[in-house]
Amino acid sequence: MIQSEAPDHAPLEVRPRETRRSRTVFGLILLAVLILLPLSRPLIGGPFNYVMQIVTIALMWITLATSWNLIGGYAGYISLGNNVFFGIGGYVGGTLLVYQGWSPFLTAPLAGLLGMAVGVIVGLITLRTRGPAFIIATIALLLMASLVFDNWDLVGGANGLSLPLPDWPRQWVRVPFYSAMALTALASVLLSWKVAHSKLGLGLRALAQDETKAEVLGINTRRYKIIAYALSAALPAVAGSIWGYFLTYLRPSVFFTISIAAQMVLMAIIGGRGTVAGPVLGAVLLVGVNEVSVAQFGSSELNIVVTGAILLIVLLFFPLGIVGSLRSRRRLPGFLDWD
Amino acid sequence: MLLHVDQVTAGYRSGPDILQGLSLDIEENRTYCIIGPNGAGKSTLLKVIGGLLTARSGSIRFRDEEVTGLRPDQLLGRGVCFVPQDPSLFPKMTVRQNLVMGAFLEDDKSVVRSRIEEAFGLFPVLAEKANQAAGTLSGGQQQMLLMGRALMIKPTMMMIDEPSLGLAPQAADQIFETIAGLSDLGITTLLVEQSVERGLNVSDWAFVLDLGQKRFEGPSDEILEDPRIGELYMGKAPRIE
Amino acid sequence: MIQILILGLLLGGVYALMASGLTLLFGVMRIVNLAHGALMVVAAYVSFFLFTELGIDPFLSLVVTMPTMFLVGVVVYRWLFTRLEGTDRYSEMTVLLTFGLALVIEGLLGYFFTGIFRSTSPGYATNSFIVGDLFIPRGQLYGSLTSLALILGLWLFLNFTKTGYAIQALTQNRTAAQIVGVNVRRVSTLSFGIGMALAGAAGSLLSYLFTFFPGQHWQWIALLLSLIVLGGLGSLAGAVVGSLLLAVLAAFVSNWLGSTWSPMTFYLALFIILLVRPQGLFGEKETV
Repeated sequence: MIQSEAPDHAPLEVRPRETRRSRTVFGLILLAVLILLPLSRPLIGGPFNYVMQIVTIALMWITLATSWNLIGGYAGYISLGNNVFFGIGGYVGGTLLVYQGWSPFLTAPLAGLLGMAVGVIVGLITLRTRGPAFIIATIALLLMASLVFDNWDLVGGANGLSLPLPDWPRQWVRVPFYSAMALTALASVLLSWKVAHSKLGLGLRALAQDETKAEVLGINTRRYKIIAYALSAALPAVAGSIWGYFLTYLRPSVFFTISIAAQMVLMAIIGGRGTVAGPVLGAVLLVGVNEVSVAQFGSSELNIVVTGAILLIVLLFFPLGIVGSLRSRRRLPGFLDWD
Repeated sequence: MLLHVDQVTAGYRSGPDILQGLSLDIEENRTYCIIGPNGAGKSTLLKVIGGLLTARSGSIRFRDEEVTGLRPDQLLGRGVCFVPQDPSLFPKMTVRQNLVMGAFLEDDKSVVRSRIEEAFGLFPVLAEKANQAAGTLSGGQQQMLLMGRALMIKPTMMMIDEPSLGLAPQAADQIFETIAGLSDLGITTLLVEQSVERGLNVSDWAFVLDLGQKRFEGPSDEILEDPRIGELYMGKAPRIE
Repeated sequence: MIQILILGLLLGGVYALMASGLTLLFGVMRIVNLAHGALMVVAAYVSFFLFTELGIDPFLSLVVTMPTMFLVGVVVYRWLFTRLEGTDRYSEMTVLLTFGLALVIEGLLGYFFTGIFRSTSPGYATNSFIVGDLFIPRGQLYGSLTSLALILGLWLFLNFTKTGYAIQALTQNRTAAQIVGVNVRRVSTLSFGIGMALAGAAGSLLSYLFTFFPGQHWQWIALLLSLIVLGGLGSLAGAVVGSLLLAVLAAFVSNWLGSTWSPMTFYLALFIILLVRPQGLFGEKETV
């Protein structure tokens, strides 16, 4: 049976020069803004700390959504509990700080490696079968982690662990977190781009379309899936250790809730699953929307309803997400075309 | 004219057109064979006629009734039956249960029972294995079960996609003997077959497809002898002088 | 020891009911219904309000919840899932769809009914039969018997009616079912409705067997999904056997390590079965 499709993106296409140029220009502008933002205190004045905070949050979600996209977008394996690694990273960073005095900024890469290791182990077990079992396992994993951390006295159980505050000048206290998160987010996007343009990415896309055919073509689907999953585990772990420190406390309910998982998924999907720019766009959008809606309506159950409703609407009517839909209509502006 | 296919285009999901304006006519009570290189659209054509795939344009008329876009169960009601290429048995059901499922649209139980007996008559090996799970049969036996099941509904027209695929030569021979006998039962047969010689040997008329269109048609024995077609579509090795 | 076994078996019967709907939906339509737990909780609320407002016993409320949930299932399937028919990556899309559905349901339940823990409290919920040294909690017993009766009914339906056969056919080979004349859409819709009706029944039983609240459904769904993977996705027998087995195991774990850890039994069982026999107890190895 012949199965072919209009591609929703062609990563190896050589982009026309205008696209590449506008994309590079946009990238440079973003980079400049990121670098200069911390220095803009005199310009912004009062709201500086708030701006730092919200941008840091956005950068964190960019990391989470982009890394989710590696397994959920490129490989098509929906992981509904990827924030489990976020939490593992948070706890690793926080616990090492409390018990050993090591700064989470230094241990973040270690957290990342640990997250990756857990990802590999879980992947080895759960990626032996096709989709459904994997998805179920990711949910179970999240709930397992939630249960374990809720009852683990070493890390404070359900009450969590309080982390010592860094003793930097109050004016600049947000900046290191911002920088660390910015680096992580940058790393995620670069990784996403690299994967998309690599043999790994090609293989993942193939198995997302039709795993049987991909296997028949000689692609080692299991290895590719595990790599993607491990990568998607490493970055949230790094982000998590920074985030825990930022919050100055660790608690299972901060990391291991389904709504965080839902947000990650939603961001990647709204932006455009399987694209590089999509999750970034989705993350920025949703963080903005959340800020506005919390300011207007206050946080409540309706938030969950709205998240779910948006997910449904996007799935039914805009399954390719913003970037994907624009691209399929050939209307994707150059600066958003990062593939 | 039993079946009239008129300028049909069709493809899979959002992909390109596999069938590109294909037309052909089928007369009653003959056996037809469709041949052509890979990708020509042979299986796609059967799927479109059989309702498993919707045509994007064009029309299909069966007994002078517009049947484009009808579902398989609706086509079955009109006597059109399809034996696809992929194994389509119910592996956990017994041979007998599979046959019963073949007559799914038939409500009269006694009719169903008598037809099962007929199927057993045609394929004695099925009678032997009547209570065995279909998934445990050999390739050839499974193919026989598929045909037996297709016959349960007493079809007017039967479409068979690559019946000999994956079968040992002896099993394939048996299948083709059965196919040859279908017109005696009053069934018009539309066959897609990769093993060109076999296919042309059991059929009266052949359609040669390429790139989603019908290129040639003619009596099977003539097509078999035509050297031009032989080189282009049957992959006969060029002779080294 | 026997006491724990009994408690486990009784609970397992109810789990089996919950899992049966879920596995049916997967078997027939390859849908992993992440909203199953949420829908059970909805039914639990219905039974709760019928009990507190109208004094209707949870068992009687089955008469309301089952048909209602059946209709809900039919409508949801028609509105939402049929739109996805034939799209690429159907199984991914349906998972995400049910995920979104679960979120919406949870949010609405929380909004209207708040997060207060609820439970219906008919008389039998708290007393037991005493047989020798053993306590047989009445509520669990009735629940278990009802569950098994419903599962038996399902089994009879699947094996002795034409539609039931069609459902089995659809589970075994979708294309084959089409070509023998099964109206796939109609049978799928019906199956979805049946799955929902079973969830509805489970919810009514849940209302007095456990305390419930909106956010609880994630624990349920994780548990049930683990069960059906263990039993074999799509297998009714697997759902029943898996449920009984794991419920008994969990009862022992609960006894030895405390009830906090009993959910772990299910999660660990999931990972173990994926390691040892990924297709589940009654499932079949995936063929290329």
